[in-house]
Amino acid sequence: MQGSNVAPRTSAAGNGLKLVLAWGFVGIPLLWGVIQTLANALKAFR
Amino acid sequence: MVLSFAPACRIARQAQNSSPVIRVFEQDGAGNTGRVRGHMAGFSFLRRESTVAVPSYSRWLIPPAALCVHLCIGQAYAFSVFNLPMTRLIGITQAAPQDWTLTELGWIFSLAIFFLGASAAVFGRWVEEGGPRRAMFTAALCWAGGFLVSALGVYLHWLWVVYLGYGVIGGIGLGIGYISPVSTLIRWFPDRPGMATGMAIMGFGGGAFIASPLSVWLMSLFSTPTHVGVAETFIVMGVVYLCFMMVGAAIVRVPPPEWAPIGAGAPARATRLITTRNVYVYDALKTPQFWLIWWVLCLNVTAGIGVLGQASAMSQEMFRGRITAVAASGLVGLFSLFNMAGRFFWSSTSDYIGRKNTYFVFFALGTLLYAMVPYAGAIRSVGLFVLCYALIFSMYGGGFATVPAYLRDMFGTRYVGAIHGLLLTAWSMAGIFGPVLVNYIREYNLSRGVAPAQAYNITMYVMAGLLVIGFICNALIRPVRQRYYMPGGEGELEAGELEVEGAAALGRR
Repeated sequence: MQGSNVAPRTSAAGNGLKLVLAWGFVGIPLLWGVIQTLANALKAFR
Repeated sequence: MVLSFAPACRIARQAQNSSPVIRVFEQDGAGNTGRVRGHMAGFSFLRRESTVAVPSYSRWLIPPAALCVHLCIGQAYAFSVFNLPMTRLIGITQAAPQDWTLTELGWIFSLAIFFLGASAAVFGRWVEEGGPRRAMFTAALCWAGGFLVSALGVYLHWLWVVYLGYGVIGGIGLGIGYISPVSTLIRWFPDRPGMATGMAIMGFGGGAFIASPLSVWLMSLFSTPTHVGVAETFIVMGVVYLCFMMVGAAIVRVPPPEWAPIGAGAPARATRLITTRNVYVYDALKTPQFWLIWWVLCLNVTAGIGVLGQASAMSQEMFRGRITAVAASGLVGLFSLFNMAGRFFWSSTSDYIGRKNTYFVFFALGTLLYAMVPYAGAIRSVGLFVLCYALIFSMYGGGFATVPAYLRDMFGTRYVGAIHGLLLTAWSMAGIFGPVLVNYIREYNLSRGVAPAQAYNITMYVMAGLLVIGFICNALIRPVRQRYYMPGGEGELEAGELEVEGAAALGRR
């Protein structure tokens, strides 16, 4: 029984890692761009 | 290798030929071999059949795949950062007589937007039937290729090559890339189609935030006292975008037959069925619903795009002495953030209140806000002006992001990407109407002696009037007649599609 749970657990962990990598891949540049824009906007108001 | 990518195909190697040629034979459900597809087996990994997800695949990988494409093609909104540097490619510090003018350069963006709409309309069915990976792959080649060809044009100082590169080739990449993930997202998120497409289309709005500082940084990196560095920037951006978009093409998958999200259901307040069948792409053009939605999008975008390009000048002229040029540029950045956030917020909201209701909010609230802008100018309230504009831009973006789900509600999932492609001609049209309307009315007012601070008042009322027409168009949208649906099984819901129930009163079918 224990052995049969290993595959789904590994699969879930693998999926989790893929999700983190995929979202990080698009999220980090987007966040960087948003921060740059916000910083420029705030600079303009000072 | 080929077999592993093409399980539905039988591969035959022509042994007698000295150079081995691989032919792909299509099989029908009974295993009968069909016609030869050609010598494209090497590209079989691009085919829809090769992108069917395994059971353990998470549907939450689809939005990042879509974002990989949309974040890249969203660079189009930031193309203006190249305009000034490209006017001094020869003069370097200032424009020389042989340098390109801003008017000539303005055509690059206009061509790209025109080819976005045209290619989305022309290639929509091809995208839909070939699957998302082939479309993303093609979009990546066109988009990156457009940059590389443009780099050559800049290097040789041949403007027509830049028109061809960024405007035509890149524009085709824009159109194919824009619609490529739409139907895939809707199939994976039948319970939240608005949110799913909103995430991708938010990326199109957000792409400029990345591209703008990146372009400026790259140009500063490559510029020398004798060189502006635009060509090198184009090359680097083309290569980066190619890699980024290819990641999206690699991770995208279509749901397997019979797939449905586990435990997912319609939003809590949903009560009524929206669609059960599909309309063929070209039959959708025969329905009044398509053209009403076309006008709904066109009017919403016309109003938004018209003031988008004038936001900086308008704020400075309406609040002379209070909003400087630098502050105005900051305001434009802030409005762009609302444009991006609105894409996700409003499309996600539409899953709860219904598409029709969402557009009713856009048109009713938008009319009120446009009409309030002159009042904000009259009482010199910068805060009210900023609030009005922030909401207007959020709804401008929201209009783009909510429309794919609206089409899905009306015409089903099967050809929604292709129908969306046809609908994007409304965007191309609005891209011409909006700015022309705003500029023409302003010039007319100034020529009649109206003070610059009040020159935009009539523009705002005209835009409010356009939104009233949009409200009426939206109100006229009714369920699609039975005769337009695809016959038999073709018209039924596809595997993986839930009967999503829509929302209250006006949003119902």
